[in-house]
Amino acid sequence: MKTLRPIVLNLVTWTLVLLIAFPLLWMIITSLKPQSELFRIPPTWIPESITFEHYWRLLSETPFLRYFRNSVVLAVSTTVFVVILGTLGAYSLVRFTYRGRETMAMLVLFTYLLPSVVLIIPLYLMIASLGLSNSLFGLILAHTTFALPYALWLLRSFMEGIPEDLENAALVDGASRMGAFKDVIFPQLLPGIISTALFTFILSWNEYLYALVLVNSESVTPLTTGVMSMLISAFNIEWSLLMAASVMMSLPLIVVFAFLQSYLTSGFGAGGVKG
Amino acid sequence: MANVTFRNVRKSFGEFVALEELDLHINEGEFVALLGPSGCGKSTTLRMLAGLEFPTSGEIMIGDRVVNDLAPGKRDIAMVFQSYALYPHMSVGENIGYPLKKRGIKGRERDDAVQKAAELLQLDALLDRKPKQLSGGQQQRVALGRALVRDPQVFLLDEPLSNLDAKLRSYMRAELIELHRRLGKTMVYVTHDQLEAMTMASRIAVMHGGRVQQFDTPDAIYNRPANRFVAGFIGTPPMNQVEGTVEGGHFITGGHKVPIDRSAYADALRDGPVVLGVRPEAITIGKGEGLPATVRLAENTGHETIVTLELPDRTRISARVEAARRLDVGHSVALTFDPDAIHLFEASATGARLNLDAKSASVVSMRSK
Ligand SMILES: Nc1ncnc2c1ncn2[C@@H]1O[C@H](COP(=O)(O)OP(=O)(O)OP(=O)(O)O)[C@@H](O)[C@H]1O
Ligand SMILES: [Mg+2]
Repeated sequence: MKTLRPIVLNLVTWTLVLLIAFPLLWMIITSLKPQSELFRIPPTWIPESITFEHYWRLLSETPFLRYFRNSVVLAVSTTVFVVILGTLGAYSLVRFTYRGRETMAMLVLFTYLLPSVVLIIPLYLMIASLGLSNSLFGLILAHTTFALPYALWLLRSFMEGIPEDLENAALVDGASRMGAFKDVIFPQLLPGIISTALFTFILSWNEYLYALVLVNSESVTPLTTGVMSMLISAFNIEWSLLMAASVMMSLPLIVVFAFLQSYLTSGFGAGGVKG
Repeated sequence: MANVTFRNVRKSFGEFVALEELDLHINEGEFVALLGPSGCGKSTTLRMLAGLEFPTSGEIMIGDRVVNDLAPGKRDIAMVFQSYALYPHMSVGENIGYPLKKRGIKGRERDDAVQKAAELLQLDALLDRKPKQLSGGQQQRVALGRALVRDPQVFLLDEPLSNLDAKLRSYMRAELIELHRRLGKTMVYVTHDQLEAMTMASRIAVMHGGRVQQFDTPDAIYNRPANRFVAGFIGTPPMNQVEGTVEGGHFITGGHKVPIDRSAYADALRDGPVVLGVRPEAITIGKGEGLPATVRLAENTGHETIVTLELPDRTRISARVEAARRLDVGHSVALTFDPDAIHLFEASATGARLNLDAKSASVVSMRSK
């Protein structure tokens, strides 16, 4: 009985892991199979020969790299905007008292509760009237509007966890408000900022609907819509190219995660949690 | 010059009035305790002095400067927070050095000052630790070190010992007294622990209901409480209060006469309702002559016994007797009060002392304005 328990537990865990990881694995395997092996029945689990031709075709014959660059600019800019605005907003909501503060916080969250489909037409009109339609900057603004509410609330709860006296102590010790923020609040808030940045980056990187509606010129199309329109047509789906594209689209997220993971675990000492 | 003055200071949070009218003058080099029950506005007073909270009206001065609009960092004060407020991501050394860093003191000079403060507080072996790796007492000393590393005009301490265990607290109490003696700086010390206030402060401001009830030496606070609140707040157990009337120069309660020292009152002793105050140690429990009472409870603490007695009008009072004394619960006894240790107060809600001297009287007259 004693020895059986861990075995069963392990079995269950690994089954779950395999179930979750299977599509990912299949995606990678498919992207490495030669065209001839793709639709073979029964499917081959381990490709008979490995080829990088799909990756090569994607990079040399399609605008994949341009889409990729657009997506990076889009997600990074959105993240920077959201983190800066969210941090300032959360600071204001937590540290100052003014009329309508709670109402404002609730209203901001309310927009988050509405489905994007409802918001997208007014948003499109606004962006168009600003002369920003079909530009990457317009899309960045749109992404900022839908990531900001949640980021604000996330950062707000992190900010609420920082004792006010910490900042007061810095003020008494001679720091300016900005100085106190930089020396004391920011290091304490770092875990919150990282979570928010991660969340925003993923949201923006994977976003499809806004990109589809707000942008239609090739030069500013991000990966999500770009890859879709390029490889999926009514008559044909370029499966191997699509899988190769999917693998490469996942890479930045995996890299960002891996980087921040190590930061989240090792770097928290610098963030003030018991080190 | 670093005396501290609160002049007509009022503080409200929206509708809620935390401090009605605060007048305090603290002399240079004095160790003043702000003492009062929870929520009486002690922290608010200290935070206004630090510049972390702004008075709704009135004036706050440090030295000759009105500091109402001065940023905390420009007031030349150092503060120890109740929560210590140590910067978690900085080492002990960085914590202590932070106020110097913010004032542009660098390199050797800063290191030396940090080292000196750390040695004073026996923290020199811990300089590289993070606050989380310290015990409560050590954290408290770091908070003190951060205040001591500079040479401010005024030290503000908000219940700095409240998180410590009893032993460490009495040790730190002695340390703080010694520190104050050595530095000779003005210190304002917030506490709700009367033992701390009585043992450390040169003067105590007893606060209640958003007002200063009495501002005087520990001796005067204990022996000449200015009103019923102070009488009922200071002492463990506090002063007993018995309602009665003055008739022809005697105190009468429940038909019994209690002798008082009339010479102490001059013409303040008029006929009418009053409240008599007497400390537990000024009560003698005997048989025969005296105020009749019933023993309700006898608590032996080892070196003394605190007896709870009930008067015929159901008022409960406590008396302090030697530990060896056996008193049976339910027995009737007769009480006599030491006439020199009797205090008389007005029967009104504020209950001012009948024979206030001029200094305390000014506080009371300001209150009744
Ligand atoms: N920011 C605030 N907003 C509203 N009310 C407040 C605020 N700060 C303090 N108060 C109120 O003012 C009163 C005085 O508070 P203060 O913190 O000065 O009490 P205190 O004497 O320090 O009590 P304690 O011994 O519990 O620390 C309390 O009733 C408190 O609820
Ligand atoms: Mg307090």
